[in-house]
Amino acid sequence: MKCGLSLNVNETLQSIVEKSIASETCGLDYLWIADLPDQLYAPVVASKVASRTRRIRIGVGLMSVFLHAPRHLAMAMDALCNAYGDRFDMCIGVGDVQQLKHVGVHVEAIRNLPSRVLESKRKISSYLRKRGVDAQIWLGAQGPKMLGIAKRFDGVLLNYSKPTMIEWAIAEGHLMRKQGVKIGIYPPSYVYVKLRPDMLPLAKISSSVVALGAPRAVLQRFGLYEGLCRAKELVEAGSSIDAIVNLVPDSVLEDFSATMQATDLPGYVDSLGRLGVTHVVFAYPQNYSVDTIRELKEALDLASRPPH
Amino acid sequence: MSQIVKMARQAEHADVHGIWIGEDLRRGSDVFVQASVAMLNAPSKVVGIGVTSPLVRNISTIARAGAALGEIDPARFRLGLGVGGLQDLVRLGLPADRPIALLRNAVQTVRRMWSGETLTIQDEHLDIHQFKASYQAQAKTAIYLGVRGPKLLRLATGIADGVILSGPMTYLKKAIDIVRRVAAKRKSQDDLKTVVWLPTLVSRRQIDQELARVVAATVIADTPTQVLEMAEISYEAVEQVQKTAQKRGYWAASKHVTDRLLHDFTISGKPSRIVEVFDALAGLGVDELVFGPPYGSPPLRSVREVVEAWARQ
Repeated sequence: MKCGLSLNVNETLQSIVEKSIASETCGLDYLWIADLPDQLYAPVVASKVASRTRRIRIGVGLMSVFLHAPRHLAMAMDALCNAYGDRFDMCIGVGDVQQLKHVGVHVEAIRNLPSRVLESKRKISSYLRKRGVDAQIWLGAQGPKMLGIAKRFDGVLLNYSKPTMIEWAIAEGHLMRKQGVKIGIYPPSYVYVKLRPDMLPLAKISSSVVALGAPRAVLQRFGLYEGLCRAKELVEAGSSIDAIVNLVPDSVLEDFSATMQATDLPGYVDSLGRLGVTHVVFAYPQNYSVDTIRELKEALDLASRPPH
Repeated sequence: MSQIVKMARQAEHADVHGIWIGEDLRRGSDVFVQASVAMLNAPSKVVGIGVTSPLVRNISTIARAGAALGEIDPARFRLGLGVGGLQDLVRLGLPADRPIALLRNAVQTVRRMWSGETLTIQDEHLDIHQFKASYQAQAKTAIYLGVRGPKLLRLATGIADGVILSGPMTYLKKAIDIVRRVAAKRKSQDDLKTVVWLPTLVSRRQIDQELARVVAATVIADTPTQVLEMAEISYEAVEQVQKTAQKRGYWAASKHVTDRLLHDFTISGKPSRIVEVFDALAGLGVDELVFGPPYGSPPLRSVREVVEAWARQ
């Protein structure tokens, strides 16, 4: 199992670099650098991180193919691999619909989203192949339609944490039958040795954002839609995040995050492996500080020890 | 090691002020990542992007890429904006309508995003609704405008921190004159920097001369009529080049580049000849001269020879 950390790029570059160095020192396999319209541009952040690390693999994205032209995404990968070697992956997909709306990208008006994403992937891969660049292209997927194209990518990153949901997504994408497609998850996470109560609200906010962005069909399938209905209405009305999160049931932590004691991680990772998951990316708030990154490392060490 | 890493490391140890990186919309590498690589490999040099276009990227992407580069070092990074190459825009199906409004709005919007303002802007070029950057940008990062023609020159001189000029010598003299006159009306004249960027090629072999003609054809095909008029070059003189470039590409068009056009649109020859032209431009009061691609083959040697020739002056 490859393990990685997702980095938030609304922090300073210095803070991001410190956490990247800590992640590499801890022996993590991956760093994923998110890309949102209101945050620093991920490829430039990746360049700075790569200049200060040596081994760790760096994933860029999720990069929205409706915000960035495929040519620009390919050029970014080309530049990174040329400067620092072939240790970069890119995750592409639709992106955060609400955030994209703020910068004039109206995803709801775009037809055939999966075909458009797939076409972008084809263009990026073609460009990189011509330039001799070896980079893996992942798909960020959550709903049934996007999962339907996952097998055409090098890997898929699922925004789920609960084994029953992951199992459903893998089946929906017919991924177990397709050799060579890596299956990763990148849930909001808080794995702790010693619980810090102030971290739980952060984990709840992050889990709520994922839950509220999940397709209605998925929420209905797992009996979660009714409990989130009111909060979803507030999202559409543009209410504050605090008001919205107050309406989300606390069970969202269990359903949409990997929040657990370090001693529970080995069993969780084991269950993921049995499902066919090959990559786990621990997302916010696990990246909150160098200390929370080190706690993750301690927990992963527990998971890698052979059972007595 | 990539070419940009090699160039940056050479520049770091050479007697040059900085590095400017142009954007090639057809191929190559991401201009923002390249700028970061240059900044990290040449830590004592200024680095500029010259230029990227708000027509080909979302303005929020330009702002946050500039913000990320500004975080590496706000005093060393310069963001260059322009409309973009006319031929490239045609090929991409992007009409460059109302370029003055486009660039004015782009500069203002990037600065407002960097200042952390919550923005709602809806016009012919921008569609921004309740946007607020969550990063802490260095609002003092300089914005340069790469422009051609009198109206855009006046705009750039009025609102930008620097102006990037390119074109034939006759045009450049007139352009610099416009910049100087408009700059005199600015509150702070010292702040405005003038940069001249010219396609330059150290010519050693016959093939270098042929390449110089291709470069000239590329530039000529992209030159607006008003710039030709200011350069006192008749449309008839460039007609064949422009038409052939559109129909059959730049290599075919290069056959129609006369010696006069080659001389007007590129600087090619021995390093000493290139330095002579640079010296003449420096005499016009230009702040920075850019030894622009294709440099000559091999590029690193060509750059080194020109820098050494300049130092001997």
